[in-house]
Amino acid sequence: MAALIGGILLAAGVMLYVIEPVFSGRGAPVYDSEDDYDEGAARRRVALTALRDLEYDRATGKLDRKDYESLRAELSHDALRQLEPDAEGGDPADSVVERASSELEDEIAQIRRALREGLECASCQHVNRAGARFCAQCGQALEAGGGAGTRTNAGASGVAGAES
Amino acid sequence: MTVLGEIALWIALPVALWGTVLSFIGGRSGRGDLILSGERTAYVLTLLILVASLGIIAAFVGNQYQYSYVANYSNRELDTYFKVAGLWAGQRGSLVFWTLLLSVFASIAVFTNRNRNREFMPYVSGTLLGLLAFLIVVLLFADVSPFERLGFTPANGRGLNPQLQSYWMTIHPPTLYLGFTAFAVPFAFAISALLTGRLDSRWIAITRRWILLSWFFLTCGIVLGMRWAYEELGWGGYWFWDPVENASLLPWLTATAFLHSIQIQENRGMLKVWNMALVVITFLLTLFATFLTRSGLIESVHSFAQNLTIAYIFLGFMGGLAAFSCLLIVYRLPLLRSENQIQSFLSRESAFLFNNLLLVGITFAVAWGTLFPLITEGFFGETINVGPPFYNRVNIPIGLILLALMGIGPVIAWRRASPRNLRRNFVLPLVAGVAVLGALLLAGVRHNMALATFGVSAFVMAIVVREFWKGTKARARIAGEGVFSAFRGLVRRNRRRWGGYVVHAGVVVLFTGLAGAAFDVVVEQELAPGEAISVRSAFGNEYRLVYESLSHSRPRAAEDVAENDWRWTALMTIYRNGERIGVTRPERRIYPVMEQQSTEVGIASSLLEDLYVIPKDVDLDSGAERVVFEVKALPLVPWIWCGGLVVAIGALVGLWPTGTVPVRAAAARRVRGPLPAGAVG
Repeated sequence: MAALIGGILLAAGVMLYVIEPVFSGRGAPVYDSEDDYDEGAARRRVALTALRDLEYDRATGKLDRKDYESLRAELSHDALRQLEPDAEGGDPADSVVERASSELEDEIAQIRRALREGLECASCQHVNRAGARFCAQCGQALEAGGGAGTRTNAGASGVAGAES
Repeated sequence: MTVLGEIALWIALPVALWGTVLSFIGGRSGRGDLILSGERTAYVLTLLILVASLGIIAAFVGNQYQYSYVANYSNRELDTYFKVAGLWAGQRGSLVFWTLLLSVFASIAVFTNRNRNREFMPYVSGTLLGLLAFLIVVLLFADVSPFERLGFTPANGRGLNPQLQSYWMTIHPPTLYLGFTAFAVPFAFAISALLTGRLDSRWIAITRRWILLSWFFLTCGIVLGMRWAYEELGWGGYWFWDPVENASLLPWLTATAFLHSIQIQENRGMLKVWNMALVVITFLLTLFATFLTRSGLIESVHSFAQNLTIAYIFLGFMGGLAAFSCLLIVYRLPLLRSENQIQSFLSRESAFLFNNLLLVGITFAVAWGTLFPLITEGFFGETINVGPPFYNRVNIPIGLILLALMGIGPVIAWRRASPRNLRRNFVLPLVAGVAVLGALLLAGVRHNMALATFGVSAFVMAIVVREFWKGTKARARIAGEGVFSAFRGLVRRNRRRWGGYVVHAGVVVLFTGLAGAAFDVVVEQELAPGEAISVRSAFGNEYRLVYESLSHSRPRAAEDVAENDWRWTALMTIYRNGERIGVTRPERRIYPVMEQQSTEVGIASSLLEDLYVIPKDVDLDSGAERVVFEVKALPLVPWIWCGGLVVAIGALVGLWPTGTVPVRAAAARRVRGPLPAGAVG
């Protein structure tokens, strides 16, 4: 008898808990709150990981100089293509690379400097002291500075990190 | 409690069906409330199945023999912890236990993904809940309910098979089942990826941990099972290519292949269809391992009187799942196209591919051998068994090539490597291998396969050690750190890679231990107390075992059966090269209620070899103290367990929360701003 009452109570509790969302309309998120994984991000990560592995293979003597250089050129080419937001959709990679390579080198230099000295503001390019949360020149929040420039900066810092 | 458990199982059925249907509808229509309701059923099912499991355990502990499952697998005299383990002692309970573990993993998957990977989740929970619903339907309607009553209450149960009365019973099956059930989660994500069409490597990135977790438990379960079989006489040593052993090895082989091939997909965007196939096959093989081997289908060669209903149900279900998955893969073929091609035969991806082919080759050989009796029975009306010689002939050469690949793979660079560079990298390890080979030949070792194993093992070990050394050195140079912190930083930065190398080292030690079997020495002799038996091991150690006495615990009145077992214990003193190193107590046991016997061997381990003592022939009736002993000197067996331990540690290194930047965090930082200097590199 006790078991039967226990069973009924169990069934009732379970039913209430399971059905409640349908009546209250409370729902689980259908999409990720910030859809931060996209195919592009994955590809960028893969391209950067490949570069990192290449450096590792070279450092541990698995690649000789010639292979290393040709693969590095090839992988950097891939990585640059992935870093360029517009590149998806089959743009001819070569023009992109031409455009991007000089910009990228500038950016790498900037990032290296910023990492060494402090943070660079995304809107006015003022280099702030390390740890600053707002730009000393224009007052822009440094951490949340979005925009295409910052995106490429962050990606390029990955390359810079891989190279270091 | 037991009645409540049965009620809980009945409540679980509509709940599981509700959750399955709602999850799929919710995913299709994008309705969050339906999805939430579906996800809640996962938690609820865990609770309900837990109540059902506790109900079964309560019936065991409370000696409720009106339940046929309890009456068949327990008796009053059984120790309490074996009664608790009664939950997985037989097929019916195992089914409940499997369902319980699956529901726990489903809940963990739902909980950890409550705020992320949301597009996948409705179909993931739908798939997992569907599996649970199927299992519950089987439990309730396929004549395998553990709550089935006999109609009368026997005074005592039939007891647990003596061979299962070992402390391993409480460790080995749960570990293996954890491995089996954990693999359901990657399977569910794969199905979800196919259904949603999100077929980039994301589902792999999400489930990588799960795959490794499942692999870790499978490995531990198999090695623990080997240890149990080694200690339990009558199971033919640590490995006998028995159908049940084979069945647990099959998913391990394909899971190992999968662990390697996903790296090709992640790095190079290749092998997408292959990976889908592997995840489906591995999951089906876990079902095969749990249910078909216990259903009597395979053992039907020995007894035709088994009830095969459950076997056919599972066979049908597996067939259905396989067909459904195949259709989905074919439907999604356009999205599963390879993004790259293998650039060179000399590349890590081609080494991985080769490793996959070999692992699948072994899988096929083992599956063929396991199913062969069934196939011949079906087609020719007579059953033909294949024995260990078949498996050894096929698998030892393939295993050796795989072993060698474990050394070659890590040294070859991704994409392409130049032969000149390979030569330079292989010189030192090859020298190590040849040196070991030469030393063994000089020492008079003449067993070809064992020699090959030792040589290749030395080669691979040299490569693994050098990888660690070179990586540490490179890191110390680049980061300007000391050797120790460079080593720690190295492993922390890429736990998967270095954990993998530790696993490789463990496998090398394990293989070396297996090869030791070529040099077993066996002697047999009848002894009276005070007499001794001598054996000279392959390592040249002279062992002398002095049989001191035989004691027994048999009660005076033979009809007094209040004891679970009566024991005859021989006491032997062991001398190595004239020096006393200890005693061993091999035993014979009688289980009066079941009218069965078992033998507990005596094992004396050292670093290099085991001494294995079997009391072969004990006169249990007359009380005479003359005993026939079989003594084996088994070289390198301790290395098997040691290697297994290293493999487990390596898997844990890979599983440990990683210090590298996860995909999501990296992507989020990409939007927010530059990475902190320490995050990359």
